[in-house]
Amino acid sequence: MIKRLAAAATFLLAAACSPAPETKPADPTADSTAYTEIDPSRAGVVTGKVVFTGKGPVRQKVDFAEDPNCAKLHKGEFFNDAIALNNNGTLANVFIYVKVGLEGKKFRPPTTPATITQKGCWFEPRMLGIEAGQPFHAINADPLTHNIHPRTANSREWNQSQDAGADPLIRKFARAEIMVRIKCNIHPWMKAWVGVTEHPFYAISGNDGTFAIKNLPAGKYTIEAWQEELGTQQQEVTVTAQGTETLSFTYKGE
Amino acid sequence: MTLRQQLACFAAIAAAQLFSCSRPQPTPSGVVIEIKSPLGLPRLETPADNPPTSETIALGRRLFYEKKLSADGTLSCASCHSPTAGFADPRRFSVGVGGKLGARNAPTVLNAAYSPVQFWDGRSPSLEDQAGGPIANPVEMNMSHDLAVGRLNADPEYVKQFDGAFGPGPITVLKLQRAIASFERTLLSGNSPFDRYFFGGERSAMSPAAIRGLEIFNNAKRGNCSVCHKIGEQNAPFADGKFHNIGAGLNAEGELTDLGRFTQTKDEHDKGAFKTPTLRNIAQTAPYMHDGKQKTLKDVVDFYVGGGNSNPYLDKEMKELKLTGEERADLVAFLEALTGDIPANSGPPK
Ligand code: HEC
Ligand code: HEC
Repeated sequence: MIKRLAAAATFLLAAACSPAPETKPADPTADSTAYTEIDPSRAGVVTGKVVFTGKGPVRQKVDFAEDPNCAKLHKGEFFNDAIALNNNGTLANVFIYVKVGLEGKKFRPPTTPATITQKGCWFEPRMLGIEAGQPFHAINADPLTHNIHPRTANSREWNQSQDAGADPLIRKFARAEIMVRIKCNIHPWMKAWVGVTEHPFYAISGNDGTFAIKNLPAGKYTIEAWQEELGTQQQEVTVTAQGTETLSFTYKGE
Repeated sequence: MTLRQQLACFAAIAAAQLFSCSRPQPTPSGVVIEIKSPLGLPRLETPADNPPTSETIALGRRLFYEKKLSADGTLSCASCHSPTAGFADPRRFSVGVGGKLGARNAPTVLNAAYSPVQFWDGRSPSLEDQAGGPIANPVEMNMSHDLAVGRLNADPEYVKQFDGAFGPGPITVLKLQRAIASFERTLLSGNSPFDRYFFGGERSAMSPAAIRGLEIFNNAKRGNCSVCHKIGEQNAPFADGKFHNIGAGLNAEGELTDLGRFTQTKDEHDKGAFKTPTLRNIAQTAPYMHDGKQKTLKDVVDFYVGGGNSNPYLDKEMKELKLTGEERADLVAFLEALTGDIPANSGPPK
């Protein structure tokens, strides 16, 4: 009897304020696409570097005015290097990818995520490559709220705030797009770029200005380099089985 | 349903109707009093069949803090609507009897009397109804209610107090609901620095930062907050009695995990829409939003600056805000100026 009483009382109290049922969309259906298989013995490499000539860019200081807590995450000044000039006169953060030559082929997107991290009220990396359909993760490593907002044109645009300590946001880009600008609606100085391709043949120039696109099936291609301030450049290349083609892109300063 | 079941069901409904008509309504028997609204709040409407009396209010207060109303005697209404936490719950999700975790943050019951409907999804039409719980399954519920009030009927003190409030007769759930509701109608909080500044003409009641924050809050081209959190000429509810999707409560994949108002209306437009909460006493009722995800008022302001979270049902009033760091801080200062007086006689009875 006491037990029944107790149960009834629980019902009165807890049920009075119990939330409504939840609903979650169903999982997407399985992938049945016929993908192109790459035969490594009939593929080659496109490598090279991105050179910078002329007067170096004037470095821009970041003004954290909209959120003083961001400034506290940095000792001293912090710079926004839209042109990432390396010590050896080369450029980092240039996106290099196969623009023409892979038409009609479909490549299975990787299941490993491509990740962007918000740290010190800044995006790391500033330049990210990803394939359409590959998981995209956004991490907030800061002790404050960010709002990640990819300015997509070819895929559905979205933005979502992410509190300190929140789980990574998980998304996909539906279609290729060079380039998607990533912004943080809360911190207007934050900027990153995501190159979305429908194949794995892209690279980003590193701290020494070099890049390498590997395992590219033999054939004729147009390779494009994309730099956020200095624009695009294209070069034609013919890849042979087991061969290595070396390219050099040169951007001029003022 | 078989014919027999249908007949039985029909008979039960008929009996219930007969029952409710043949018995006098448990209206309060004492002298009706007027609950005075503090500065900044409108006149309080009270239901004709449950006008407030000193006796029902005192009884409701006792019931609000009564742990006997929970299974294991550990919980009262105040466990999740604590007077030391602005009559809300400082935990993200309230913990029920047996450690059961809810999925929504407990809102304040301060000024809930002004809300046209109760709960984040508005599924309860009145404080009376809310205090009694859902009515999804009448048979099951009636039984539960009877058993619940059994405990009170066994307590001579309560029998006396109910008799004093409603006239002699057995304790019923309706009486309990009405008493709690009447107590909740006294939980009005106003006369905040904002009220004294805005309605009381006390120029120094708010800080310069809060005054700037008010301007941003009200300006459709800046904060655009008052389009939903209303400030009127005579009083300011800081709510609109409506439901909006501002994008709170999306999961990592950007999906709505709680459909909110839609669960009641099944109207597509209501997906992910929640009742606009009052912002009065907001500094005392962290964490924020129906899912209690936002820990500080700065987090909330940042969330709005970001334009909320995109989803197919986002309210059209939600846009990215262009506010400087100082303006964001001003908005927080304004929200902090909304802390009003806690009414006397609202804590646990002696
Ligand atoms: C276990 C914790 C818990 C207990 C105990 C509890 N509540 Fe609640 N209360 C909540 C939660 C959580 C919500 C929000 C639920 C929702 O909206 O779906 C809520 C909502 C409410 C609301 C609606 C407020 C609004 O603005 O919509 C009122 C009024 C209320 N409770 C009063 C009471 C009363 C009276 C009691 C005692 C009979 C009580 N609560 C007991 C957790 C609790
Ligand atoms: C489109 C209507 C709308 C606008 C505009 C709006 N709000 Fe809200 N606000 C809501 C709703 C609805 C909720 C509850 C949402 C939820 O939990 O899903 C809310 C929640 C809040 C909360 C948390 C309350 C609590 O108890 O958890 C705060 C604080 C708040 N709003 C402040 C603001 C400020 C400041 C602005 C302006 C920058 C603003 N709101 C603009 C509708 C609005």
